Amino acid sequence: MSTRKCCRLCLNQKLVILWMFFSGAIVSSSEVETNRPSDSRNSDDWKYILRSYFDRYENLHDSSFEHFMAHELSSSLCQVTPENRNRGVRLSVRELSLVGEGSHRQLSLSIGLQTGAESIPELPSHVCEVIIIQRLPLGVFADPFELQSLQKRMGFRNMAVFGDTNLELPSFRSNRSAVEVHIDAGSDILFMQNRGMEINIQLPLHARYQPLDESGYSIIEIGEPDMLMRCSMEGKQHKQSCLFMSPDDNAKSRISTVEWKIPAGKNAHAGFVSVVTFITASLSTVSIVYASMFWSGTQNMKQP
Amino acid sequence: MISLKPGSIFLISAIFRVGLILYGEWQDAHMEVRYTDVDYLVFSDAASLMASGQSPYKRTTYRYSPLLAFLLIPNSFIAGSWGKFLFSASDLFVGLFIRIILKQRKVPDHICTYSMLIWLFNPFTFTIGTRGNCEPIVCAVILWIIICLINGNVVQAACWYGLIVHFRIYPIIYALPIVLFLDPRFFQSGVKPLLCDWTSDQGKIRQINSQVTNQFDAWIAFKSIFTRSRILFGLISGSVFLLCTGFFFQLYGWEFLHEALLYHLTRTDPRHNFSIYFYHIYLNYERDLSVLEKLISFLPQFIVQLVLVFCFAKDLVFCFFVQTVAFVAFNKVITAQYFVWFFCLLPLILPWTNMKFKWQGLCCILLWMGAQTHWLLWGYMLEFKGKNVFLQLWMASLLFLAANTFILILLIRHHNYAPVFRQHTGLKTKQKKCE
Repeated sequence: MSTRKCCRLCLNQKLVILWMFFSGAIVSSSEVETNRPSDSRNSDDWKYILRSYFDRYENLHDSSFEHFMAHELSSSLCQVTPENRNRGVRLSVRELSLVGEGSHRQLSLSIGLQTGAESIPELPSHVCEVIIIQRLPLGVFADPFELQSLQKRMGFRNMAVFGDTNLELPSFRSNRSAVEVHIDAGSDILFMQNRGMEINIQLPLHARYQPLDESGYSIIEIGEPDMLMRCSMEGKQHKQSCLFMSPDDNAKSRISTVEWKIPAGKNAHAGFVSVVTFITASLSTVSIVYASMFWSGTQNMKQP
Repeated sequence: MISLKPGSIFLISAIFRVGLILYGEWQDAHMEVRYTDVDYLVFSDAASLMASGQSPYKRTTYRYSPLLAFLLIPNSFIAGSWGKFLFSASDLFVGLFIRIILKQRKVPDHICTYSMLIWLFNPFTFTIGTRGNCEPIVCAVILWIIICLINGNVVQAACWYGLIVHFRIYPIIYALPIVLFLDPRFFQSGVKPLLCDWTSDQGKIRQINSQVTNQFDAWIAFKSIFTRSRILFGLISGSVFLLCTGFFFQLYGWEFLHEALLYHLTRTDPRHNFSIYFYHIYLNYERDLSVLEKLISFLPQFIVQLVLVFCFAKDLVFCFFVQTVAFVAFNKVITAQYFVWFFCLLPLILPWTNMKFKWQGLCCILLWMGAQTHWLLWGYMLEFKGKNVFLQLWMASLLFLAANTFILILLIRHHNYAPVFRQHTGLKTKQKKCE
């Protein structure tokens, strides 16, 4: 009985903790495993890091996002003691490239996950997921509905776009967006030593109409994604630490970006195009008006 | 000469459409390029939102009446392709209505058959319904309105007209010709109007310049605008429109009004499309266009519509056709689905044209398709190869407008202007005069 009461309290704790991301205990019980309809909306909110970001900030900016990741999330991170440096997992970007031509391309991501040289046997049984956050520059967007079908096809745990998801606006009338993908990393991964896993994602992206440019093209850069891993501990009712994974230590000097060259209108065309457009429209109008008035016959010829 | 019975034609068309829908489902499931129109997914999502008691406008880019989402609610519990079957059925109804209209005007059977085939087996039209585009519903209702009008059923025509303008804004352009068409000389209380029949002399009739007569008719029409049938039509259609709009505004608020109505009235899309205005809009998008600039771009559309209406209102179907072609050609945004708006009217005007298929008709078809293909090639280079070909694409859109204008003028030139109605006379005569 007291165990049941405790379970309920831990459930409430879990909701708070999961909302803060990686902070403190994740206590599981049979109640947590079942999806209660009343919780489903809340569970959608807390599972995304970007949801938490956009609750605090109106738009996506690199500086505010990096501050959010470094400071506002850190209080939710589990403690990693110095002696645990050889433990845990490491996430790194092995490949970042843009596949395809034109306005519709795919961002090809290859993420490497490597467990440490030492396992962490003292941890309870856990289930982990890799979280990839791909910030998109202005000028490019991801279609949320396309991502939905991609999620079903690829079997990702969760996938969503946050920020400006308007598909139609040109870049100079829109704001940035970001895609968050959750991929199942398996169970009890922290018990394993030197285990590697590769995650491949092909993210479909689309170019917006760019601001006018004299060169006729606009070049946008897409950087590496941010990566984390979140583990849910099962069975225990006390606080457990989750692991926060940053990119490789030696990756600080390796900033990889891909470039996308998108056609843009030229300012020099503006006057000429407007004048010729209106002249053409006028000529067509005059032609149709003349034809209508000249050939709108009415009577049939009376046959002899 | 084709000797297929209408029943057989409809049966083959129906089987063909069912087959296409089933193929479309297979392609969607097994190939990366989907057969289904992306708009159909938008309708379906909106319908499932409505089914769960939510606003269909929670689905981004849903810019239609809630009626459409309502019609597609069975997508959620019968089958995902319910909507496609509904649209394809409407497609078949368009074919049926084409036959009904032409038969009522005593068009010979073989010409009726050809006209039906032009619609039912036009690759553009049968793919549009089977891919999940809702335009066939609009076409079917427009044709039904024509049937109601030619049978003198003003009240029913008005009800459907109010409904369809709520559903899709563009039929508002037919308001003035319908009002002019409801001539008191033909629409008399309690008397069914007399139709002007098609005759085999159509091809031999020389068109004469009746500019003066037309202007006189238009002036009389304008002076006697407040007749019973006109007032009735205006009041009923206006009431139905306001009722539907008011009802859905009550349910879904400003979001409905903006997405379903105001968006279409103010839409300027800078992205490439067939319209000659797209590049002008893109180049000036960063600064807002002045009121004068917006007015100037609207002027050609306005003038053309007005002139076409006053010249051809009595020949209602032809008037609808030329108005629609011009409306689409001069619109600020043109997408391929708009073409079906006049495709459904084309079979209704062909029995009255002097233009022979060989070779003028064929040249017109090739010219129109050629201009479109030319635009599509540049569009492909821009969108799928990433080349800066904005200028070439814009020039292709100018050529497309030129092609549309040329073909429209040819059709006007070769059309045997045939008012739909003739006046009731006291004398019985076998010779039918349609003056």
